[in-house]
Amino acid sequence: MEIFIQNIFNALQWGSFYALIALGYTLVYGVLLLINFAHGDIFMVGAYIAFFVATFLLGNYGVIAPGTLSGLTILMLAVPLTMILTSLVGVTLERIAYRPLRNKGAHRLYVVITALMCGLILENGNLALLGASRKKFPELLQNTVWTFGTISVTNLKVLVIFTAIAVFLFLQFVVTRTKTGMAMRAISFDKFAIPLMGIPINNIIVFTFILGSGFAGLAGLLFAMSYPILEPYMGALIGWKAFIAAVVGGIGDIRGAFLGGFLLAFVEIGVVAVFPSTLRDLMAFSVLLIILWWKPTGLFGIAKTTKI
Amino acid sequence: MLLSVQNLHVKYGNIEALHGISFDIEEGEIVTLIGANGAGKSTTLHTITRLPPPEAPRVTAGDILFRGQSILGVPPHKIVSDLHIALAPEGRHIFGNLTVRENLQLATYARKDRANVQKDLDRVFELFPRLMERQKQRSESLSGGEQQMLAVGRAFMSGGRVLLLDEPSMGLAPLLMYEKFRTLKRLNQEEGITILLVEQNARIALQFAHRGYVLDTGEIVAAGTSAQLAADPEVKKAYLGG
Repeated sequence: MEIFIQNIFNALQWGSFYALIALGYTLVYGVLLLINFAHGDIFMVGAYIAFFVATFLLGNYGVIAPGTLSGLTILMLAVPLTMILTSLVGVTLERIAYRPLRNKGAHRLYVVITALMCGLILENGNLALLGASRKKFPELLQNTVWTFGTISVTNLKVLVIFTAIAVFLFLQFVVTRTKTGMAMRAISFDKFAIPLMGIPINNIIVFTFILGSGFAGLAGLLFAMSYPILEPYMGALIGWKAFIAAVVGGIGDIRGAFLGGFLLAFVEIGVVAVFPSTLRDLMAFSVLLIILWWKPTGLFGIAKTTKI
Repeated sequence: MLLSVQNLHVKYGNIEALHGISFDIEEGEIVTLIGANGAGKSTTLHTITRLPPPEAPRVTAGDILFRGQSILGVPPHKIVSDLHIALAPEGRHIFGNLTVRENLQLATYARKDRANVQKDLDRVFELFPRLMERQKQRSESLSGGEQQMLAVGRAFMSGGRVLLLDEPSMGLAPLLMYEKFRTLKRLNQEEGITILLVEQNARIALQFAHRGYVLDTGEIVAAGTSAQLAADPEVKKAYLGG
């Protein structure tokens, strides 16, 4: 029983990471019908940005005297700084890689390939800039273990899970209740008519990239705090998995990204609880394959009705 | 002069679609641009509303003036938000995945006169009661005629004082068509909305417009009041079925 509940917390934590990354795929897809394959690497860049922000605030570069700021203060500052800086990276990619192609009317396939290349550029750019050595993320939060009866959870796990839930509620509000959210949904349906509503289309697209990559940065920070070893390829596999989670949930739908993310995590951890861990990905993805077999547009996906 | 198109030459790729057309619209007028398929009517509207690339037609000569100022450098969204020129495009282009009400709300995205938004929404619902009944439905579930109403309602909600209407009669049964044109006339008379009406159906267009121009393969071949055009033997023969 204890192990069972422990596993549920682990699954919730992993699911939170998947969900926070998956939402970036789903937002961009929901607006541009583009699969931004660089997104996993934006998450990696986010983790590195978090590393540099944290070590800077800790006083490693001599600007701030070491010990001036408490770990909690550093975390409070690192969250917005990491999100802002990571979203700048996302927006830059959009500006220099995707927008020029869009303006020339390139087919989406070429933009997807460009996204793949951008991901590789980010990975290898990191390798060239920082070398192959891994970075150790400093400890910002003192590890506290809360015990309820026989179950114990760490403060970090709770933080990660609550962050994912808060982000979900925030995004669901933005997308369904605000005019910008309406515009985001409308673009994918009919891009032609957006400027006719007086809406600067590129502002909406930039806003989408800010949201997606900002939260990838947040995921990067939380991930680095939970698994404090950083390396340039850390975003590749988790990015793929989050993308698959978004598709299984129903790409283009915020609820789908979260449901898919948690589903994947529960299946993975469920498999490991019963079978040898080497079977984890094999069995997890087989389950997802069956789900897509049954519902090809994902759990929340709706088959696009043809326009009359 | 509210809107003045002067010697406009427009190319799509390497093909010239408009060979130097000129026409004017005064404030409060209903002006119609009639002509056959491929005459350049939609191109004219798309040039005025400055579609973003890659759809944008390219102006190679001539000018479009709005209240005396050239608007060729104005970005497409500002044509709506700053100049209040709104297009209800051919094929409606409503956002089918949003509800009727969301379509109308989204159109107010860039409006600065927040106070008038509710008044205008009430007005749209009064002019098109069907839209009020169906405001919570996904708009792709509307019939073709209702989608047409939504396209016009949306153009009005965007704060448009000049409405460019591309084939508003398309696909409508005659009865609905007349009802729609009467509503447009009301928008013109009661709200002072200027209308540029592009139509293949010359008969109904000349019944409701004050003046008209006949466009034929990228050139204006006739102009005058609706009565003059309707009486013109050439126009009669080519566009009114003898």
